[in-house]
Amino acid sequence: MAARALTKGLWGLRHSRLVTVGHPCGGHQYATAASIRSPQLQIDDATEKVINQPLEKPDFFRVSELFSVKDLFDARVHLGHKKGCRHRLMEPYLYGCRLDQDIIDLDQTVEHLQQALNFTAHVAYRGGVILFVSRQRQFGHLVESTAKNCGEYAHTRYWQGGLLTNAPIQYGPGVRLPDLIIFLSTLNNVFQPHVGIRDAAKMNIPTVGVVDSNCNPSLVTYPVPGNDDTPVAMEMYCRLFKMTINRAKDKRRQMELLHGLLAPSTPSS
Amino acid sequence: MAALWKVVSSVRTCGVRLPADRFSRISSSFSSDSGSDQRPRTGGFAAAFDQQSELRRRRESESSVAGGSVSSPGQDHSFASLLRRSPLIQMGPAKDRVVIGRIFHVVQDDLYVDFGGKFHCVCRRPADGEKLQRGSRVRLRLQDLELTARFLGANTDTTLLEAQAVLLGPLEGRDARENQNQD
Repeated sequence: MAARALTKGLWGLRHSRLVTVGHPCGGHQYATAASIRSPQLQIDDATEKVINQPLEKPDFFRVSELFSVKDLFDARVHLGHKKGCRHRLMEPYLYGCRLDQDIIDLDQTVEHLQQALNFTAHVAYRGGVILFVSRQRQFGHLVESTAKNCGEYAHTRYWQGGLLTNAPIQYGPGVRLPDLIIFLSTLNNVFQPHVGIRDAAKMNIPTVGVVDSNCNPSLVTYPVPGNDDTPVAMEMYCRLFKMTINRAKDKRRQMELLHGLLAPSTPSS
Repeated sequence: MAALWKVVSSVRTCGVRLPADRFSRISSSFSSDSGSDQRPRTGGFAAAFDQQSELRRRRESESSVAGGSVSSPGQDHSFASLLRRSPLIQMGPAKDRVVIGRIFHVVQDDLYVDFGGKFHCVCRRPADGEKLQRGSRVRLRLQDLELTARFLGANTDTTLLEAQAVLLGPLEGRDARENQNQD
């Protein structure tokens, strides 16, 4: 919950940075800010610039230009379940209830989605491992192909109990866990919260989750209130995440090229 | 829209100036025609049209000064106005409403039809429905937008993640209106 309050994602980024820069061992490492500095100063200056420059602007990757309220509306993101299926904790995100069907407030969704996409972009920029999770069989193929198209990972099958919490034993020592888990639906097939949400919170892995009106948004770091049952809406989310991740990775390549070429000379953007 | 064209055609035949109050009511019901006509001014209807468009423009500029946000009814910027004008809200209760859907998946005799709501509906193929394939447009009579029920001992409703509708037949244009509905 505290991570969510620090909107620019600085805290999560420090963690991701520790994991990505030259530390191949598994699990998450806790370190103070003092231990981040590496001894080689020359290479470090350019790397510092490349890594810290996106943190200067609130929307460095311009994710707010990727979608609008009208796009979300046309993709039926505002439609929720019936009043009887409503989760108590989703009430702040609802605009109202029309003839027993909950309507999700798209103004809030826009803000939440912008924050989530911005965070995803920063994680992808820093070379983080992103895992897409969804237990909806209708969209399993869509999620897997989205992950493939942006060079990240997906898990749309049965979630084994110790996948995150028992990873070194189940998958061998030195396994690298994901730096961000994106839940395109936070429920499993029996309408209970997905185990991955609780496990990611246990392992200090930030999560982005699309929460419908019958979901529990508590443990999700960046909840995005929205419809997760209509194909149009799911295709829209997948497209947005794919575009953000690709944009962030391209930007990273561009920045590295730029600074690699101009490292000793003028500071340029 | 039908009322508008009826009045316009009658004015053209009569060639007389419309009374201002009737025209203002009609002009408020259409949105995109004001100011876009390039007909030569022949007097009568054209003059009345110009006058009413001018009045309407003046009224709209006054309301925007007072704090209105929508410049023209075609562009809805806020979620509230988009929602209010959406077909789902304008439809009202879904019981026994006739809508048009599109088949997006077929499993032997089951047709999965998407009609624009949150969920799709599944209808059985009618006896004469051989030509209903993936992509065909059909007419449905909706019963419910989402099938939910609260069972004994449960905290929340159980949902089937489906809508319920009765398939009326394929969308055939004018022929369908002449024939009676086949259930």
